[in-house]
Amino acid sequence: MKKFPLAGVAAGLVMLCGCVTEVHRIDLTGNIQIDAPKAIAEGPPRDKVLWQYRLAAADLQSGNFAQSKQMLDDALLTLGGIYGKDPSAKKSRSYFVSENKKTFIGEPYERVMAYFYRGIIYWMDGEPDNARACFRTGELEDSSSEGEQYNADYVLLDYLDGLATTKLGGDGSDAYQRALNECKLFAKPLPYNTNANVLFFVQWGPGPRKYAAGHYHEELHFSVPESPVRSAIIHADNVESINIGPFDDLGFQATTRGGRVMDFVLANKAVFKTATGVAGNTAIIAGTIAASSRNQTSQEVGLGLIAAGIISDVVSANTRPEADVRTWDNLPRYLSFAALQLAPGQHVVTVEFNDQFGQPMPSLTKTITINVPAEKRDQVVFVSDTSLTPQTQ
Amino acid sequence: MNLTLNKCYSLALAIAAGGFIAGCASEGVKNPNGVPVTEMRPDERGFVAGTGVESQDMVAVTDKMARSILGIPQIANAQGVPCVVLDPVRNETRFPINKDIFLTRIRVQLNSKAAGKVSFLARDRMEALERERNLKQSGQVTANANPSVVEFKGADFFLTGTLQGMTTRTSGGTSDYILYAFQLIDARTSAIVWEDSAEIKKQGLEDAAYR
Repeated sequence: MKKFPLAGVAAGLVMLCGCVTEVHRIDLTGNIQIDAPKAIAEGPPRDKVLWQYRLAAADLQSGNFAQSKQMLDDALLTLGGIYGKDPSAKKSRSYFVSENKKTFIGEPYERVMAYFYRGIIYWMDGEPDNARACFRTGELEDSSSEGEQYNADYVLLDYLDGLATTKLGGDGSDAYQRALNECKLFAKPLPYNTNANVLFFVQWGPGPRKYAAGHYHEELHFSVPESPVRSAIIHADNVESINIGPFDDLGFQATTRGGRVMDFVLANKAVFKTATGVAGNTAIIAGTIAASSRNQTSQEVGLGLIAAGIISDVVSANTRPEADVRTWDNLPRYLSFAALQLAPGQHVVTVEFNDQFGQPMPSLTKTITINVPAEKRDQVVFVSDTSLTPQTQ
Repeated sequence: MNLTLNKCYSLALAIAAGGFIAGCASEGVKNPNGVPVTEMRPDERGFVAGTGVESQDMVAVTDKMARSILGIPQIANAQGVPCVVLDPVRNETRFPINKDIFLTRIRVQLNSKAAGKVSFLARDRMEALERERNLKQSGQVTANANPSVVEFKGADFFLTGTLQGMTTRTSGGTSDYILYAFQLIDARTSAIVWEDSAEIKKQGLEDAAYR
């Protein structure tokens, strides 16, 4: 009888010696400006880039471009250095670790947006060549889609590549032509106006969401919510107006990404989970039948089968084929752009967002005060239908 | 009875050992003990690497350019000390970079290894310099020379450069080629009196989990 207390003590030891380096769970408040800094500082390192993306987008919308730059710079360091061995990525490919245990860098459309946003900030800071570098890398991130059909097909990235080249004294006609060729969903962008000194980056609508489907949630899918906003009008000083439609649809980009290599890995995990589960259940049933026999050998074989079946079931239960559905959830659906020529000095710009019938949605109207510099430098304005208003940029 | 007790101890030890092993899984924590700071030479390829412009590229390229500039007759056999102005490098690659760092390092190399052979003009400080001159001209601060005489030097040469790149991306990975070209331009004639280049190509493939 003495062995029971001993075994109990041992079991207690097992309970107590759980590792102390556990991940601190973050209590989310729903306010990105509170949640993101906390998650970046205290949350799992694998989610750091995700929160940096989210905070960078929120900062752009609130006009805090300095913090947005800081977040994107750090996130892009991770994104640009993913070549070669990555222990977390390797683990996420194993049978017993789910995909979301890898360091998040996002799907191609999310990576593209990180570079796109950083490019906008570079242009704001008077570095159109570095902005162009970001747009080019963004286009490259989109070229990782399987098959050639939807490779590097962002209209705006090529258009802005050409615009930056033209403004820097180069020939942007190739990039412009690529932009025209890629423009299949919406109206074609206007030819470059090199005298335009105010560049508007406008976005609207809710971005794509990820969800997992399949028997074991091993398939990554995207849902694309309907956008109430379909177009916008920019009014400068109530004198000049320009209608703008979208050039790129992130919903289209997310859903035309093509298959991932990781999809094959997850499919294999799902097959393994099914196979070990079926084998385990079969062995337990067969073992139970054999164990109920009066023959001692059959009983021993039956017990062995039951033990093997239980092990197989445990292996099956611990196999993790779930797809990673962590999403950069404050991205827009549509991206647009416009360029205006305004005299140096202060201007008040109003951006109206229109619904599907072309009617303005007054609750979304944004007012931005801008100061166009006298020197030869572009004034960059970022506006989202979720931007804080009024703003000074 | 002793045998049973021994078995029991063995079982307890095994469970406890298993517990210790399981307790160190540290699930979700990467490098729980941290990674000590590793000091590296700037020309050394570190364990954190991408296919873009990195410190070892910058060091290799600027060292080569500085050596090359010193050998040209316009500098080596110049009558006086030629004045050079740095004109920002053009970045035409897909990598956003701090462009000034290339010319800064070339200037530092030339100044430290060939002091007196070339003189660099601080055009990027003109605003502060002009403000100081104006203060001297208005008598608000002292001057050791006549502040009305223009003493800001004009450039004999412009040192500038261009970074251009080519990228290939396939299922086999990403390949980036960067051409670093630098020029010394005669400010009087616009003739390119010196030009040299360096090329660096890098390839990499990310983990299948990211493809």
